[in-house]
Amino acid sequence: MTSITPERSLRERFPRLLPHGEHLDVGELERLRSRTRCFAEDHVRPRALEIDRRTGEDPSWFDWDLVRAGGEQGMLGLLIPKPAGGAGGLATQAAIVMEELCAACPGIALIFGAHALGVAPLLLGGPSQWDGVLAELVQSERTAKPLLMACAITEPEAGTDVEDPDLLRRARITSHARRVPGGFRLSGTKRFISNGSVARWITLLMPTDPRHPAETWTCFLLDTRSEGFAVARVEHKMGQRACPAAELTFDEVFVPDERVVSREGDGAAATTIVLACSRPPVGAIATGIARGAYERVLGWLEEDRAAKGLLARQHVQLALASMEEEIHLARQLYMDAATELDHTALGGVTSNPAVRAIAHVPAGVRRRAPMHGWLASDRARDATIALLHRTTSERAVTRSLALSSMAKAHGGDVAMLVTGAALELVGLRAGPVRAELEKLWRDAKLTQIYEGTNQLNRLEVYRGLCRSETISCLPPLHPIRRKTEGGRS
Amino acid sequence: MTGTTIAERIEIQAMASELAHRELAPRAAALDAGGQDVLTECWRLLAELGLDRVLLDERHGGAGLGVADLLATIEELAVGDGGIAMCMLLCNAALATLADEHLADVPAGARWALVPAASGTEVTLSNGQLDGGVACALGAYGADGLVILLDGPEPAAWAVGAGAAGLTLERDRSQMGLRAAPAASVELAGVSCTPARDASGGSATAVNVASALALLRAGTAAIARGISRRAYETALEYAHARKQGGVTIIEHDAVSDMLSAMAVRLALRPGIAIDEVQALAAKIATTDATVASTTDAVQVFGGTGYMVETGIEKLMRDAKYCQLFPEPNWVAHDELMRPERTSRMAPLTRTIAGSGEARAPRGRVL
Repeated sequence: MTSITPERSLRERFPRLLPHGEHLDVGELERLRSRTRCFAEDHVRPRALEIDRRTGEDPSWFDWDLVRAGGEQGMLGLLIPKPAGGAGGLATQAAIVMEELCAACPGIALIFGAHALGVAPLLLGGPSQWDGVLAELVQSERTAKPLLMACAITEPEAGTDVEDPDLLRRARITSHARRVPGGFRLSGTKRFISNGSVARWITLLMPTDPRHPAETWTCFLLDTRSEGFAVARVEHKMGQRACPAAELTFDEVFVPDERVVSREGDGAAATTIVLACSRPPVGAIATGIARGAYERVLGWLEEDRAAKGLLARQHVQLALASMEEEIHLARQLYMDAATELDHTALGGVTSNPAVRAIAHVPAGVRRRAPMHGWLASDRARDATIALLHRTTSERAVTRSLALSSMAKAHGGDVAMLVTGAALELVGLRAGPVRAELEKLWRDAKLTQIYEGTNQLNRLEVYRGLCRSETISCLPPLHPIRRKTEGGRS
Repeated sequence: MTGTTIAERIEIQAMASELAHRELAPRAAALDAGGQDVLTECWRLLAELGLDRVLLDERHGGAGLGVADLLATIEELAVGDGGIAMCMLLCNAALATLADEHLADVPAGARWALVPAASGTEVTLSNGQLDGGVACALGAYGADGLVILLDGPEPAAWAVGAGAAGLTLERDRSQMGLRAAPAASVELAGVSCTPARDASGGSATAVNVASALALLRAGTAAIARGISRRAYETALEYAHARKQGGVTIIEHDAVSDMLSAMAVRLALRPGIAIDEVQALAAKIATTDATVASTTDAVQVFGGTGYMVETGIEKLMRDAKYCQLFPEPNWVAHDELMRPERTSRMAPLTRTIAGSGEARAPRGRVL
């Protein structure tokens, strides 16, 4: 089968990758792409239709074997920093992996994508998070019982609202994290949470004061074995079914203080940064879906007897050329957004000497009382935020978010366009390839919706690029300490 | 020839509309899930009203209505469920091609399906026997009989009973849209068949094969119109109810622009097609517009629209199948550009049925 993966190397196509350090080693990126493609062809694509069928009948059905296989390839620890045992990947690596997996099956890819989304808020917590859950995730990856993460933001009455700081102020947030001695009690419902029913740990966002959701939006790390946590149901989705989307309920679930990620009230800024990080991979998901459809229809045209003579038709040639063109542009956009984020917006954090120095401290030492105590302290959290302010700016993150949003929105439209056109080329009579294309078409629609609808993403482009606005997207240097129920300020 | 008055047509449409809202829409999810029992139940309701044989005259238990009435009725039913409307279209088109002596043997309530096939490449006819196969034949699974409509160098229509020796119908489990018209892979191995006959009693000819195809295209356009209406009405209602950022989402330009585009597409929908060229054009324009509108409808709903239980994503899947049936739209464009058709584009003269605004014809039309 013909592949349209670019023949030119990443180095040729993305010269900005060159002058930077270890995180974006070009040769390693090429090897990562190649390795992931082999995994996708060997493990993912052969099972895609069957898993789609089974999860269509029973949405709660889940293929742990695939997660184990992905874990063996290092996909669960891809974004986890090297000091915690992970691969230390950034948005660029995540995007490359997503495109390759999605060309085979977007639903299966989403399992790993949603896991990465769950990990992302922890990365903003800095070194204080390295030796806890992140290390546990890496260790589990090497066992027969891998652990998954999820990120829970959306609520029944607030979807797009919670992904935009301005809308969040007026959103109908019904969840509440109530301050109690030693931590918080979480109540409410989260909806459409990818991996929500299978995750061992969930990063979730709730306000500590529902009257001021934007100001008190806070990220928590939740143990899904906690009392009061329940999976209310698993949704029956149109596509991307391999990854379950769950409704989660929280009935006075206790979360201790040490599992507040970053600081109380930093959640809105954290959400913005996480979205800037996650949207290039979503653009890559969409690009991968489009590429998967393109490769399938081209293969059908070249090899299937029923398609004999069609390649000689100009209509078909023009349609294929348009697909190739759109896919190429979508890939350029997501790579541009990812490299902008990894280099300009957040590159300074990862290469900061202080962070590197802590990284060189053996994990065993970091886990001992004096250092562990300091890393878990409020001072260390404040220091992490201060580092963020020193190494980047709100303007840089705003611009990066806009580029990421552009890649996501455009990619989603390309995925719909290409899968729809591919399906039209083959028609209803095409046999097995039709089922594959129909699945990709169903899968593609979600890329226009999740991580903020395309409309919201384009408004981010307007603000960040058309108007060159700067949004408040870094946690404040000095957090607002509110008096909340339970007495702690 | 007698005709239907506008008042009569409005009455028929009102009856179909009520049936769609009262009986079909509540069962749409079950129909989409592929339940045969619910299909049988819905089909019984349609048959009791004579909607399975709208075009047949009273001698054959039909209503004796015209194509325009059929298409108007199909559109109303499609507001409830596109798949069941497709079943009705396929059955009416199939029965309309059957000769009188065959119709006498078709019991009331029987569900037949018209199966278009490419002559020579998909199905061949030799010594009165059919060989070959047709993939994803909509409505064929569970049908009581098929009319195989061969298009190509030697156009013809052949009737095959469901129990005919050599006929195998395997359900297409991967069927994505219009699932209430259950698709089958049709395998024909030396199947003895009977030539369907046209209204005048002669053998099937290129003329009536083309007319039957035109009816399928015009009917598919009508189904797409019904789906579009459902998508618009549902999305509009949701946009007035759902709040984001402290206001109903219709107050966001991002949402109202989509709804406006849906409304424009509905306002610009082609009228009921009355000839081959119009049928092709209507099918292309309407189904493309419906795919766009249903995709927008899911977008208006956001994540909720992507979930099966809301029934919105189903409209998108149904719309996509309209775009692909009876042929993908790019092939329909090819058909439209055939020299014999381009020469007739203006004035448009050849009809599959009269569609006078005041009175529409009754009786057999093919």
